[in-house]
Amino acid sequence: MFVNYLKIGFRILYRQRSYSLLNIIGLAMGIAVFVFIFLYVQSELRYDKHWSGSENIYRITTDYRVSENSEQIALTPFLLAEKIQNNFPEEVEYSTKIFFSDPSDVNDMSSLIYNDEVYEVPDITIGDSNVFRVFDYYFVEGNKDLSLTKPNTMVISTQVAEMIFGDEMALGKKLKTHIREYTITGVFEKRCKPSHLSFDAIVSVNSLTEKNIELLNSDWFWMNCYTYVKLKPETNYHDFENALNDFSGREIKKFVEKAKININGYTDYSLEKISNVHFNKVLLYDNPGNTDKIYLIVFAIIAGFILLTASINYINLATARSLKRAKEIGVLKVLGAVRYQLSLQYISESLILTTLAFVIALSLVELLMPQFNHLVGKDLTLVGSLFSQGGIIFGSLLVLLIFVLSIISGIFPAFVLSYLKPVNVLKGNKMIVGKGGNQQYSAGRLRKFLVTIQYIVTIGMIISTIIIYQQMMFLKKHDLGFKPENVMVINLPQDTTFNDRASEFIYELSGEESVEQVTLAGNAPGYTAGKRMFFTDDSSKIMSLNYFMVGQNYFKLLEIPLVEGRFFPEFDAKDSTVYYIINQAAADTLKMDTLIGHSLKTTFGLDGKIIGVVRNFHFSSFYKNIEPLVIAFSGKRARYALVRVKGGQHDVALAHINNVWNKYNRNQYLHYTYLDEKLTSLYNSDYKMLSLFTYFSIFVIFISSLGLYGLSSFLIEQRTKELGIRKILGGTANNILLLLVKDYLKLVLLAGIIASPLVYILMSKWLSMFAISIEISTWYFVLGILSALIIAFTTVFIRVYKVINKRPSLALSYE
Amino acid sequence: MVITEGLTKVFKAEGVETIALRGVSLKVERGDFITVMGPSGCGKTTLLNLLGLIDEPSAGKYYFFGQDVYSMNERQKTELRKRNIGFVFQNFNLIDDLTVYENIELPLVYLGWKKKERKERVEEVVGNMKLSHKKRLFPAQLSGGQQQRVAVARAIIAKPPLILADEPTGNLDSIHGEEVMNILGNLNKEGTTIIMVTHSQSDAAFSRKIVHLFDGQIINENITKV
Repeated sequence: MFVNYLKIGFRILYRQRSYSLLNIIGLAMGIAVFVFIFLYVQSELRYDKHWSGSENIYRITTDYRVSENSEQIALTPFLLAEKIQNNFPEEVEYSTKIFFSDPSDVNDMSSLIYNDEVYEVPDITIGDSNVFRVFDYYFVEGNKDLSLTKPNTMVISTQVAEMIFGDEMALGKKLKTHIREYTITGVFEKRCKPSHLSFDAIVSVNSLTEKNIELLNSDWFWMNCYTYVKLKPETNYHDFENALNDFSGREIKKFVEKAKININGYTDYSLEKISNVHFNKVLLYDNPGNTDKIYLIVFAIIAGFILLTASINYINLATARSLKRAKEIGVLKVLGAVRYQLSLQYISESLILTTLAFVIALSLVELLMPQFNHLVGKDLTLVGSLFSQGGIIFGSLLVLLIFVLSIISGIFPAFVLSYLKPVNVLKGNKMIVGKGGNQQYSAGRLRKFLVTIQYIVTIGMIISTIIIYQQMMFLKKHDLGFKPENVMVINLPQDTTFNDRASEFIYELSGEESVEQVTLAGNAPGYTAGKRMFFTDDSSKIMSLNYFMVGQNYFKLLEIPLVEGRFFPEFDAKDSTVYYIINQAAADTLKMDTLIGHSLKTTFGLDGKIIGVVRNFHFSSFYKNIEPLVIAFSGKRARYALVRVKGGQHDVALAHINNVWNKYNRNQYLHYTYLDEKLTSLYNSDYKMLSLFTYFSIFVIFISSLGLYGLSSFLIEQRTKELGIRKILGGTANNILLLLVKDYLKLVLLAGIIASPLVYILMSKWLSMFAISIEISTWYFVLGILSALIIAFTTVFIRVYKVINKRPSLALSYE
Repeated sequence: MVITEGLTKVFKAEGVETIALRGVSLKVERGDFITVMGPSGCGKTTLLNLLGLIDEPSAGKYYFFGQDVYSMNERQKTELRKRNIGFVFQNFNLIDDLTVYENIELPLVYLGWKKKERKERVEEVVGNMKLSHKKRLFPAQLSGGQQQRVAVARAIIAKPPLILADEPTGNLDSIHGEEVMNILGNLNKEGTTIIMVTHSQSDAAFSRKIVHLFDGQIINENITKV
């Protein structure tokens, strides 16, 4: 019997192939976009959930307040992990620490040498022997418990192992850096384990010199490590957090008294669930790749709406098509068909369509996956997702979706039409009939409601895209307070041999016409700024201020103007004075009558003198207002060399820089970024959102246009005869166009009115993430609604055009 | 008033040509009441469609008040049609979603009459057609005879000099049929030219002249009344 239904279903779908095609394409695209978004959201939600006992793993973050400044940072002191391990054996299974490596600097690569070949490893860090006890990476080689116990040992990822050793075993092999040689004690599998931890290689902490370790172990205020704990299952994290703060409070007090620091403040540690780390955007020194959950919520809503839109199209077309089949149902009923048989017929037709749409959708997903991965910067696979932890849920969800869609879109015609009384069939559009045979509401109204929902989504997407685009353009054009164009930021080696020759290196770099200016710098705009505790006269009024170290030419190169005082003097080895230049925000914070010449002191006893004030510049991102910044002079040590290159001569300059680089750093590659590109990359997640919104908008517009085209085609077909009569009675092409289009335009307008406040609320929330943002103008809404009106008009016009040119006699003979 | 010369209409469907009209020449004077008769498929409706400018001929000439109609563009033809020709169809061809009042008013809307003028005119015709108490109803709520009265009211609302009626009583019982024919007869007496297609001898008796069509050709023209 069911086979029979399917057979008839196929025949009917073939007979109405243009509608079937519209339906399948619309649904397939909707499902494809839904699957893409689903995979993306799923991959984000999987972060750090795969560790064994992940529910007991926490990151410790620091919340400290000094005088009036409070900061929340992702870093903790070096000594914390060990203190926890030794003092909380009842509560804690393991605690571990991983060194901070500047996550804002993608060029912060390290070079590893093997057999005289130099290999670049993006992220090498330092960690203790508990790292792999807390984070149970799968070890391809070596023993995870013993791997980082000895000095000068290193564990590498399978990617690094493949890059350096190919198919050979890595275990026991030696890798050199500029400083020392490490033995490989383990190889871990990093793939398919989405985590906020990004290291490709990790070195044992006891590779540091004893002196260094002693220094690090004695300071509670030197924040340089991420600390993680794995609590015992029976430990209440809240109780542990309190106990830890009691303990650390006592320890810090002892430390402050011993170090004779006059500080008025507190330090609190908080436990953060490991699975929440990826979604934390508020901490300093955290991974910039972290995602705001609001994006995921927005994407999930969009996905839901896209699927809803596609389903609405299907239901809309199905009800419209069912009109045409009312007579067929009448005949079938006369021949003895009962409701469930009619229902099965419709549901089986629906099942064919949705299954076909799913097959096409999944093929589309597979086909477009590389492009999508490029867009979102991920490595997703459909198969990978199906076989992942949540894969069964995903697969079941897809199958469930097929059935739900089939049933919903099949049930309307099946149930409603099978209720039809012949008299209503003859009267046409009056579809839903009460038990007494009275018309309750027409299907036309239901269809209009569904089309309105589609256009709410479409207009919402269009306006949001316009606003996001405007904001991104606004940020792009906003005055940074310095000139980032044509500035190269070159990462310098962090070793004393190079440091001694840094000035020489810089001098040589400047000896080429294409190079305009060169300077050394410890910090550059857009990269992580340091923080230091300063005070002026009263040592109890300590301020935590942003801290830059820069070279001689820094301000001239970046074209940051001086407001007061002077720039740094020429480097003079005999002059031991520490000079500071501050920005206007710092000047406002310090609140002093005469700034120039005033001293500025640090908590660890370094006194300096303010010699100048520079105009405020955006050294951080536009997510923050310009904060107070103290800039110290650094004549030798630097992380970066900044080079301003003459416009249009980048290639010549680069060739020259490469030559000089190779002379000074034989075993290291040159890594550089253009400063303007680096600054743009600060908003990568926003640009990603812009791209996704743009693509999704196009999809939604396409899907809803497809729906509107199909629906208007069908309704026009329903009204062919009426249109013929109107033409005979003297209706012109314009009269008829207006007649057909105005209904839809009213709906689009209504949808615009409903969508606008929703978009306003959502976009205001998004814009509030930025310290500077555009005003949401009424024009964006007008533009969005107008575009939707034009699109809807064009869609219906394409269909109406055919009808207008039809001879009325043909319309009259149409039944 | 209406002169056709050698009107020919050929339908092509899937490569098969069907000749519906073969060189029909007809002359209709102002005030005439002409009935076109003939067996099914002889081309009666096709002829009426060509005269009503709702279809294009394959060949031939058509003069309406001396104007060469087929040399006009679509807009001119629409203009000519809406000012000069009223239509009555066998199946009424009323618009289901418009009320009786709105159906009758429609030609005036397209002629660009002002609302007040339209109201006056519609009320007048509705009164004459004895449809005043039905004007707010929808076509589906009327009987066949009432629907055809609405269709006639719509056809005459703009006072066209020519009415084309395609089997106006074909879907009606004899009482309602006669009622409609009386209305058409009276209109003719008031000066409206009527060209009607019918199978009914009794309906044909209302006309002054009968044109017999067979296989797309006029085989006979009888004058019934002088």
